[in-house]
Amino acid sequence: MAEMARKIIEVENFTKKYGKFTAVNDINFSVDEGMIFAFLGPNGAGKSTTINTLCTIFDSTAGSLKIDGKCVSSNKSEVRASIGVVFQDSTLDNKMTVEENLKMHCVFYGVPKTEVDNRIDFVLDLVELKDWKKKTVGSLSGGMKRRIEIARGIIHYPKVLFLDEPTTGLDPQTRATVWTYIVKLAREKNITIFLTTHYMDEAEVCDMVAIMDYGKIIAHDSPFNLKKQFTKDRAYITAKNCERLESLLESKSVGFQKKEKYYRIDIGEVSDTLNILSELKEDITDIEIRKGTLNDVFLEITGREIREGAEE
Amino acid sequence: MRVIYALWLRNFKTFLRNKTALIFNLISPFFFVYIFAGIFKHEGIGNASAFMLSGVIITMVFESTMRISASTIDDMTGGFMKEVLVSPISRLNIAIAQFISSATVATIQGLIIYVLGLFTGLSLSPSALLLTIPVMIFVGLVFSGLGLFIATKAKNIQTFQAVSLAVTMPLVFLSGAYIPLSLLPNAMQWFAYFNPLSYAVILFRAVTLGKLNSSGAELVHESIAFKIGSFTVTPIIAFGVLAVFGILFLFLSTISFLKVDFSKMNRNKKDLIDF
Repeated sequence: MAEMARKIIEVENFTKKYGKFTAVNDINFSVDEGMIFAFLGPNGAGKSTTINTLCTIFDSTAGSLKIDGKCVSSNKSEVRASIGVVFQDSTLDNKMTVEENLKMHCVFYGVPKTEVDNRIDFVLDLVELKDWKKKTVGSLSGGMKRRIEIARGIIHYPKVLFLDEPTTGLDPQTRATVWTYIVKLAREKNITIFLTTHYMDEAEVCDMVAIMDYGKIIAHDSPFNLKKQFTKDRAYITAKNCERLESLLESKSVGFQKKEKYYRIDIGEVSDTLNILSELKEDITDIEIRKGTLNDVFLEITGREIREGAEE
Repeated sequence: MRVIYALWLRNFKTFLRNKTALIFNLISPFFFVYIFAGIFKHEGIGNASAFMLSGVIITMVFESTMRISASTIDDMTGGFMKEVLVSPISRLNIAIAQFISSATVATIQGLIIYVLGLFTGLSLSPSALLLTIPVMIFVGLVFSGLGLFIATKAKNIQTFQAVSLAVTMPLVFLSGAYIPLSLLPNAMQWFAYFNPLSYAVILFRAVTLGKLNSSGAELVHESIAFKIGSFTVTPIIAFGVLAVFGILFLFLSTISFLKVDFSKMNRNKKDLIDF
């Protein structure tokens, strides 16, 4: 199935410079049709620059970027017609109503007049905001605005929907709601979703993740494979008899770290670990197994947290 | 066409929905009518109030186009323009829609003053109204070009306000709209010859006061037209000069709008890196 999929986004040797500052440094990647693709990385890594260039807002300094086989710099208006974009900052017209905003968008994208009303109802249904059709956008909450923007982004049936930090600045509950609609769109409507985020949990549910740092893609795979490749599951054990635990671990040459009150054991093969644990079962008073996360992947590759000292 | 109409309608609705601004924009014109009409009563101008009012109306048309350009900047920096720019429509259509909506709003504001003027006992010829509207639209179009040009060059609202104030004030006061040019010092009169608004004032005043058929000497005597050296600028010539200015403004602003990099609008360096 994966081999069969068509490549909807193809980026080759893409570089973007602002004066002397290199925001994106010679990156290559492609996205298969119908998948949710996440760009993960700290602020300033070059994620938004990449998304803005793919959306035809910026011109690339070097390299080739194609959407649905069309070059984003030489074929701007065709590319624009086939994508939907939700930017980091709202681009809704606050003085107009929800309906007027969506109608305007339909005009811009040449949606046939006879279809406009149906499509507005359809997308508002999808994000469950039909009752807000006649309200002025300025009067909506941040989460509702974001949902309206997502609705607007797909009203012209784009092939790819770009979402730049779609859930930044939203409270956890709204974040979850917005995320539900994103997944629903990709799965039910088969729209390719390309998004940037710095939330680990969001990247975890995507089909593919590219991790960016300092303008480079440092890892690119499914979240599962990334974690498998770069992280180890860990067991945190507290034992009654520390000496026996240590000697046993040493005899089995299992890597461990002694912490103040517990031992941290790196888990390799699950079966080996289970064997060791079963030999220790008399001594173990408590055990916690933690799976590796994408944050661990980032930590493993770069040696630092993805958002050092930041929120959450 | 559908795009231009939709953008025009949107800009027009935005104008109508901002009722506070709509009312406050009408206050200063009346201030000028009553103060200046009082002052010039004894300066040999036949109907001082009508003379002033026509100047105030056309100034209003001019100033509205500038105000609308400020809202264009609002759109550019506020995000909505980004939505417009990632859509497949051409920038030329956007520029044309800006010109047309600018001229529409300016004409409506001018008309409101005109109609209010009729009710306050000023005797502007209502029969001239038919010719007045096209002239207001024409003047609105000419200056919408200037407004958009400044807007695309200024890039943020603070700079625009500073520049537009610096441009608007001298253009208005050295145009003959409030103060007849003959009362200005010589050097200032020279400035007025290069001021597009001077020609808009001649044309509009001649139309509203019903003096299109008057002789050049008569118009100069009544401070409606002026002379450059021995050459009299009649309303027809004023129309021609204004048309040239208009083509120039529309051309320059369109070029500037097509080229402007909106991603650099109102952003500082820190923001750029965060893209």
